[in-house]
Amino acid sequence: MTQSQPYVIIIGGGNVGYYLARHLLEREYEVTLIEKNPKRAEWIEHHLGSLNIMVGDGDELSFLRTTGIGRANVVIACTADDEDNLVACQIAKFSFNVPRTIARVNNPVNTRIMPLLGIDVGVSSTELLMGLIEAELGHTEVIKAISIKASGVSIIDVAIPENSEYAGSPVDALRLPEGFHLVSIVRDGSVQFPTPTYILHAGDELIVHSERLDPEALRRAVLSPPVHS
Amino acid sequence: MRVIIVGCGRVGSQLARELDLAHHDVTVIDEKMEAFNRLEGDFGGTMIVGDGVDDDLLNKAGIRDADAFAAVTNGDNRNIMAAQIAQRVYHVPHVIARIYDPLREEFYRTTMKMDTLCTTTLGASIIARSILDHADAESASTSVPGESS
Repeated sequence: MTQSQPYVIIIGGGNVGYYLARHLLEREYEVTLIEKNPKRAEWIEHHLGSLNIMVGDGDELSFLRTTGIGRANVVIACTADDEDNLVACQIAKFSFNVPRTIARVNNPVNTRIMPLLGIDVGVSSTELLMGLIEAELGHTEVIKAISIKASGVSIIDVAIPENSEYAGSPVDALRLPEGFHLVSIVRDGSVQFPTPTYILHAGDELIVHSERLDPEALRRAVLSPPVHS
Repeated sequence: MRVIIVGCGRVGSQLARELDLAHHDVTVIDEKMEAFNRLEGDFGGTMIVGDGVDDDLLNKAGIRDADAFAAVTNGDNRNIMAAQIAQRVYHVPHVIARIYDPLREEFYRTTMKMDTLCTTTLGASIIARSILDHADAESASTSVPGESS
């Protein structure tokens, strides 16, 4: 192998950590998985032979030093405790200068908190599932699909509601709040790159690039156009 | 002064009582209702049952108007997270976190610029001082032959 593979350290060998490790190995990443329970570690080792697994606490400085964390490209903390994930990521980032840290978030309010405390990304499966359910049931039309680094840039998926004044209007009439830009439209499962005269339908999903994270402002804007002065 | 205390264990309850007696506006948060049994009946502050690292709950506890914030649960990481929410998200003027693990405490004090207290090193050094002082006194007294009783 001439080119070195990205090195990923996963902290927490629960279901999330285990499957993540498995997929990363399949894609030929170099992976170390840290698990504090020796029995669980043994089980994982038995199932994922080629994995480097270490038994220890992922939030302990002296232990982390033994994992080669200094050359890690990414550290992902995915234990069931947000505070443990926060501390593990902060030590990785601010003590060992790991370029990218990702924390699994169990309490959805912490997706907002993690980046404020220096973590690159906080991922909440609860929040992702809520977004999908609400979109399906039509309560909320906004799904924050993906956040890109700590820059605050995100891609948002917002459906045009039945009662939106934009249903039947051309794309040209669409007025998104400052900082939001329309990228494409998904209609009936296929992606469209609309021209200004493209007529919007209720149910069309707008894929929007956002520089600030206020999906609520976007939701309001899509429901009703701003009043012309 | 409005003070929020996260954790109503031995330290948290003692701290809450002391500040309450000094007529400060105290709010104590603990996950367990029973923890508040440590406070006496005449405690005049507010008690909230819940998660001290939950942003919504901290808002309910009045973190936006707090003058001081102490995180003294039994979990180092909980204290670290709660204190950082207070310090870096809500800019509470005075925030302190109790951290048992000396290495972790040093990292958060020096690199992360937090106001921390490591009761482990503090306790150990007080005990060590006491033992050494006692040994010094012993050797001083035994070094004079015939003086010890």
